[in-house]
Amino acid sequence: MHPRRHAGLISVLAGLTLWELASRVLIDNTLFLAAPSQIARAIIGLARSGELWRHVWVSGREFAIGYVVASVLGILLGLALAGNEVRRAALQPWVSGFYATPTIALAPLFILWTGIGIWSKILVVVSLVIFPVAINTEAGLRTTSARLVEMLRSFGATRRQIFLKLSLPSAIPFILAGLKLGIGRGLIGVVVGELFGARAGLGQLITQSAEAFDMPDLFAGVVVLAAAGIGLTACFSWIERRAVPWTQD
Amino acid sequence: MPKLQTVGLGKRFGDLDVLRGIDVTVPDGAFVAIVGPSGCGKTSFLRIVAGLEPQSAGQVLIDGVKVVGPGADRGFVFQNDNLLPWRTVLANAMIGPEIGGRADAAARARTAALLRLVGLAGFENYYPRQLSGGMRQRVNLARALAIDPRILLMDEPFSALDAQTREIMQTELLRIWEQGRKTALFVTHQIDEAVYLADQVLVFARRPGRIREIVPINLPRPRPLSIKRTPQFVALVDHIWGAIEEDVRASVFNAET
Repeated sequence: MHPRRHAGLISVLAGLTLWELASRVLIDNTLFLAAPSQIARAIIGLARSGELWRHVWVSGREFAIGYVVASVLGILLGLALAGNEVRRAALQPWVSGFYATPTIALAPLFILWTGIGIWSKILVVVSLVIFPVAINTEAGLRTTSARLVEMLRSFGATRRQIFLKLSLPSAIPFILAGLKLGIGRGLIGVVVGELFGARAGLGQLITQSAEAFDMPDLFAGVVVLAAAGIGLTACFSWIERRAVPWTQD
Repeated sequence: MPKLQTVGLGKRFGDLDVLRGIDVTVPDGAFVAIVGPSGCGKTSFLRIVAGLEPQSAGQVLIDGVKVVGPGADRGFVFQNDNLLPWRTVLANAMIGPEIGGRADAAARARTAALLRLVGLAGFENYYPRQLSGGMRQRVNLARALAIDPRILLMDEPFSALDAQTREIMQTELLRIWEQGRKTALFVTHQIDEAVYLADQVLVFARRPGRIREIVPINLPRPRPLSIKRTPQFVALVDHIWGAIEEDVRASVFNAET
């Protein structure tokens, strides 16, 4: 019926089986590797004790605030870049520079500035998410079709009308792609931000479990993060299909 | 007073004389077709009349008033449909009134009526990607008509369509044009299309782009497609072909210069 879907499912099941066998037979030491079944038990255990929800709540809040702030600022920065040649020339080296820099290395600095509370994590998330959003927004606005601009001009459209009726809507697929790219980077930001000092959160759970050599709990944190990434990306793909259906064919 | 008049219209690109000394007078309600070999400046001429491109010399007058840019007195039908993919058929056709700040209920009703006129009744809420090439060009035409322009400017609007669709669209265009008899300029590279549609064919020559001949088409209206097989029609096509043949050959053999 759906050979593609079946192939994906079979591949995942086979992988999990191999993993299970390898960790039980070959390694057989939970200090080095946890089997999928152990990870599942760890997740259930953490969920029952309520600890999982505490971590998810803390990390989720950091991610959500950072992501929303970065999205708004990133789109505004992209608009600023696209709006005017001089401004683009002035801002472009900074944006390209920061995008290429592993700003994650600055995480300890952010903690130094803002403490181990929520703000340092938000800062890390923002620094990772803002640039792909800004760069995509700018690219989307810059690739406005010249033929369509001319069509609007033939009706006497002003620059403002061309921006609102053409440039902005045709940039939306690019902006959404930038926001989608930001999900993965934002989740990395949360983990790294918590790595350098936190009282709770999935990153802190992972760090703490690593220090205690508790592989099932460590993997439980990783799996929950991966699931969040997959879920959020799937949500975004759904939004894309609804919001910009003309890019789908 | 003529509806449209050009006086000594010229266009240069560096050393290249794209158009030189174009004097055209179009009476109100006339359908004028423009043919010529590639590089004869026929599309430039249309774009200058539309105000999309500045001329290097001369003037364009509409009802005696000098044209200084694009405006709602001219409706432009593009070669590519240039529809906005995120807008429905009706919203695409409404773009002109919207830009003019007159997108009220009356304009919507008028635009919906135009969509019915061009044969798109029931497709108002479709998106461009759901339409065939011929249907998209119908929206393109309705969009230009929606601003109720004084002059309709058409730039090879059927050139991307297959031969059969093109013939149907020609008859459709005449049917629609007969309803309002708007002054129309129609650029094409197909001589039979020009003769079939127009009251007058401007034959352009190249290097520099200029008018070689103005051929009046005195075929009766309305014109059925079968008119294309009458001796009178064939003689007109032959005549125009004779006037541009040499130029076309030249443009084929050194198209790049």
